[in-house]
Amino acid sequence: MIEEDTLAADRNMTIAETFFGTSHPLFNAFGVQVEEIGKGRAVMSLACRPVLCNRVEGVHRGVVVTLLDTNCGLAIFSRLGDMRPIATIDLRVDFIKEAPSGEGIFSEVECYAVQGDIAYVRGRAYACSDHSLLASVSGSFAVGTLGPAFDSAMKERS
Amino acid sequence: MSEPTVFEAPRMNKVQKEMLVNTPFVEFLGLEAVDSDKGIAYQLSFREEHIGNTLLRTFHGGILASFGEITAALYLVQSLDLDKEPSCNSMTFDYLRPAFAGSIRAEPRLIRAGRRFIVVSVDIYLEKKLVSIGRFIYTR
Repeated sequence: MIEEDTLAADRNMTIAETFFGTSHPLFNAFGVQVEEIGKGRAVMSLACRPVLCNRVEGVHRGVVVTLLDTNCGLAIFSRLGDMRPIATIDLRVDFIKEAPSGEGIFSEVECYAVQGDIAYVRGRAYACSDHSLLASVSGSFAVGTLGPAFDSAMKERS
Repeated sequence: MSEPTVFEAPRMNKVQKEMLVNTPFVEFLGLEAVDSDKGIAYQLSFREEHIGNTLLRTFHGGILASFGEITAALYLVQSLDLDKEPSCNSMTFDYLRPAFAGSIRAEPRLIRAGRRFIVVSVDIYLEKKLVSIGRFIYTR
């Protein structure tokens, strides 16, 4: 059992590293960080950079959606245990509150089911400062879509 | 097809100008308002910072959704002559086809403008293909 857990943890580390290993231009520009990953759940965050802001210097709604969409992907990879290509089918985001000026945000998403070729996710985004709820997300993703797996290069090396 | 012309500043009202020019994230995205036979349309040309799947070179889903939402708000300000930026309560976004690196175009459409809530639908095209649709609910 312990061995299995260690294997799963290693796999999750590989997934997290692959996610950023290729220095993804969007994740770089947004400063996206992986905070936690495992068992179909992932936590991500980003700091409030000037280019990501709305007119009142808070993180823009569009950035919140982008972080949530990205986090959905990471949660699915963690549940699948690999990085088969996935694609968003649909996404629903409710905006509860604007992000406070100058504050970073974090998000938490769980992949609660995979049925056939569809993965289902739900999650939330919060302000880093007071953990107030900013937005909620739910959506579905197609698994095993067009193109190579994201971890294919890594698998070849090992 | 003729080249779309970028809107000249005088055609936009003050709120729209502020939304386009004084919002750092909107500037970062780099969207442009263009003339269209169907009225107002907006265009976004691919940049590396928009990328989602680096292997397929597609727009990130969050960038498509941002583009849709910003477009919907700009369109509302113009068509309903709002004096402040409306606030978005929720969005529902369907990804119909991969949006490969290129120039995408958003065509917003008003579904209903009620006293408190406004519903807008936005179709996003890559060339002539519909790649995604979004529905946005705003409060005045």
